[in-house]
Amino acid sequence: MLGFVLRRLGFAVVTLLAVLTLVFFVIRILPGDPTVVILGDQASAQSIALLRERMGLDQPIALQYLQFLGGALRGDWGTSLVSGRPVIQEVLNVLPHTLELTAVALVLGVVLGLPAGVWAAVNRNRIPDYVTRVVSLLGLSAPAFVSGIVLLLVFAIVLRWFPVISGGQGTTPLERLRDLALPALNLALIMAAYVTRVTRSSMLEVLSQDYVRTAMAKGASGFAIVWRHALRNCLIPVVTVVGLYLGILIGNSVLTEIVFNRPGLGKLIVGALNQRDYTMLQGMMVIYTLIVVLVNLATDLVYGLIDPRVQYK
Amino acid sequence: MNYKTLALGAATAAVLAGLGTPAALAQTLTIAVPGNDMATLDPHRASATLDKNVINWMFNGLVRTAPGQFSLETIEPDIAESWTTSADGLTWTFNLRQDVTCQRDYGPLTASDVVYSLKRAASPETSSYAGDYAAFERIEAIDDHTVEIGLAHPVPSMLGLLVPFNGGSIVCEAAGTELGEDFGRNPVGTGPFAFAEYQSQQFVRLVANDGYFRGTPEIKEILFRYLGSDSSRDLAFQSGEVDLVNGRFEQSWLDRTAQLPDTTVSVLGPYELHQLHLNMNQPPLDDIRVRQAIAHAVDRAGLVAFRGEMLTREATSVIPSGYLGYEAQDLPEYDPEKARALLAEAGYPDGIDLKTVQTTLPAMLTTMEVVQAQLAEVGIRLNFELVDHPTFHEQIRQDLSQVVYYGAARLPVADIFLTQFFDSNSIVQTPGAVTNFSHCDVADAEIEAARTEIDPERQKELWAEAQRKIVEALCAVPLYEMGQPYAWNNKVQFAYPLAGSLNLSPMIDETTRLVD
Repeated sequence: MLGFVLRRLGFAVVTLLAVLTLVFFVIRILPGDPTVVILGDQASAQSIALLRERMGLDQPIALQYLQFLGGALRGDWGTSLVSGRPVIQEVLNVLPHTLELTAVALVLGVVLGLPAGVWAAVNRNRIPDYVTRVVSLLGLSAPAFVSGIVLLLVFAIVLRWFPVISGGQGTTPLERLRDLALPALNLALIMAAYVTRVTRSSMLEVLSQDYVRTAMAKGASGFAIVWRHALRNCLIPVVTVVGLYLGILIGNSVLTEIVFNRPGLGKLIVGALNQRDYTMLQGMMVIYTLIVVLVNLATDLVYGLIDPRVQYK
Repeated sequence: MNYKTLALGAATAAVLAGLGTPAALAQTLTIAVPGNDMATLDPHRASATLDKNVINWMFNGLVRTAPGQFSLETIEPDIAESWTTSADGLTWTFNLRQDVTCQRDYGPLTASDVVYSLKRAASPETSSYAGDYAAFERIEAIDDHTVEIGLAHPVPSMLGLLVPFNGGSIVCEAAGTELGEDFGRNPVGTGPFAFAEYQSQQFVRLVANDGYFRGTPEIKEILFRYLGSDSSRDLAFQSGEVDLVNGRFEQSWLDRTAQLPDTTVSVLGPYELHQLHLNMNQPPLDDIRVRQAIAHAVDRAGLVAFRGEMLTREATSVIPSGYLGYEAQDLPEYDPEKARALLAEAGYPDGIDLKTVQTTLPAMLTTMEVVQAQLAEVGIRLNFELVDHPTFHEQIRQDLSQVVYYGAARLPVADIFLTQFFDSNSIVQTPGAVTNFSHCDVADAEIEAARTEIDPERQKELWAEAQRKIVEALCAVPLYEMGQPYAWNNKVQFAYPLAGSLNLSPMIDETTRLVD
């Protein structure tokens, strides 16, 4: 298993390098110039040229690439072109907020989605099934910024249970949970919709297996059949979807963070894109890639926890 | 350990590891602005409006515009209690107040601080506004409380360069040298509020400067929040979590927000002038009749009706109204028939096609769609090349757009606006390029002469003549002027009428109060 993990990490390095290279060139092909952002629209051509020179943007692109790669290998991600602060520090400042949001949304999504999927499968083609399917379809179709505004209207304006600004003002864990509740719920609803649909179909397949019929024949209760025998066997596709979806979740967190006024990677990347902050974008792409690669690896490892027959070679 | 406990453990750890921030005080004024983050709070560096907004409450200048006002006609003493000028306008002597202290225990402010600060503002190494101070030949401390400035040549509105705006904000020497590059994240001024804390993407927190020379501020804390989403910023104001909000550039926002209980809605100056710059270097726009046709096809009243009567007003010149040296002009009236006739006369009976690089920023795009429809009425087909905002800024500077739609406000002196937009030295793609998109060169002599004219009356005549010539040549077609939409709940009480401020945020000083 150790060999498997090491080999996968080796692949991850190659993936990262490819992403780095791609990102480096693609964002430089985009028109737009960070110096205009920094100096403002009253800047003269001379001062723009001066700043480009100081930031090294006037050098040949191949040389810039080598310097960037050398820095990245040494762990130096450079400083943000716009704020002048180290990229790594900017990212680490807000990364905990995004991880917190995503982790809670993930757990919440599974906690809501799994029972709903099982419920729908057990009641196949009856009213609970139809209700679950329609609701989960809604969850899949509503964009995060729409569901976010609806949640704010209901829970922050009408009911006044939660604040509109979930900006991490709370100091106690309870206050922090209150800040987190709405944004996490917003992300979790989408997650839950995916989990529900996959669980339902996977469960239906498992319930039609011979061993389920055997369990029924020997007189096991419906509860024991579903939750003890069938559930674990239907989990592999669910874990796959959760793993794949985690990447999408982090993407959706961009919109959620903006709507709920939470700090996080999402706001950082939108700002960096609008300001053509090359170094910041590069750093963030690496972080995103790293997260996706690690999540994929973790997903593969979880298979073994669920199904002892899975072996890592 | 199964996957559930793993995930739960991770979630709990993440919750507990998060950053905490102090709870708001009772006398906290919470302000929300559209935007994601702060770039720098160094007044000599900051170019983003949101950064200037905060700087507004932390710094003083040698002089200032009256609280709540932005017109340079209202200039009054700030750090300098009096000043004199030599007859040739080249030597300025300022007598400083003796009770001014730097925030955060950096000690009393003396003439050497002022000298340091002005030199800092004049140096391209430390300032984005060095060009404004190019004529400052000599900046000297005569004694502890007297500063003398020697100019190489007279500058238009010398005092305008010494208000707390851009390079005019006075930075304390000890803080500036000690903090160096860190000053932008750790600014120290002399104003009513002092920097206390910054949380990236969340807020800047200022606290009352108890040693402020005009008295201890009533408000104890300002929380300046970055709330990028329009909808949730409005909701936060509605829920009472925010006291003062920078609104949307939409009449509907003003109308809707005005209906909230105990709320004041206001449009503050300085107004931005929006105009169409016509590239006179390229056919068919090199023909004055074509430019006249465009000017007659534009319905300014219609545009104002579209953008909203409260937020906008019709443009009246090629520089914003109220600027020192502004003079209302006779702009071509709306007359589609005449426009069509002019096009035919110029040899384009079937109309013309024009290319314009257009930003996708919604407020700018919708305006241009109305302009596009108005021009189409007379056969002028405006073809958009839609790009995102940074690309727009790059491409219009590369001379890639025949028509450039641009909105701008500057230090309210005619010279700066005229120089940047209509002086041939500022033509795009030249070494001195700024924002002369039209290749306008018809008023160079007047702009140049006015810059060093000592007699204020003669100077105003020259500026008026420049405006007349630019309007006549139609380097640009003025459309409308737009103010800054703000709303606050009535707990916030200003002791002065609010017309606006150069830093585009309402002035909050020692007299501003929060009542329950």
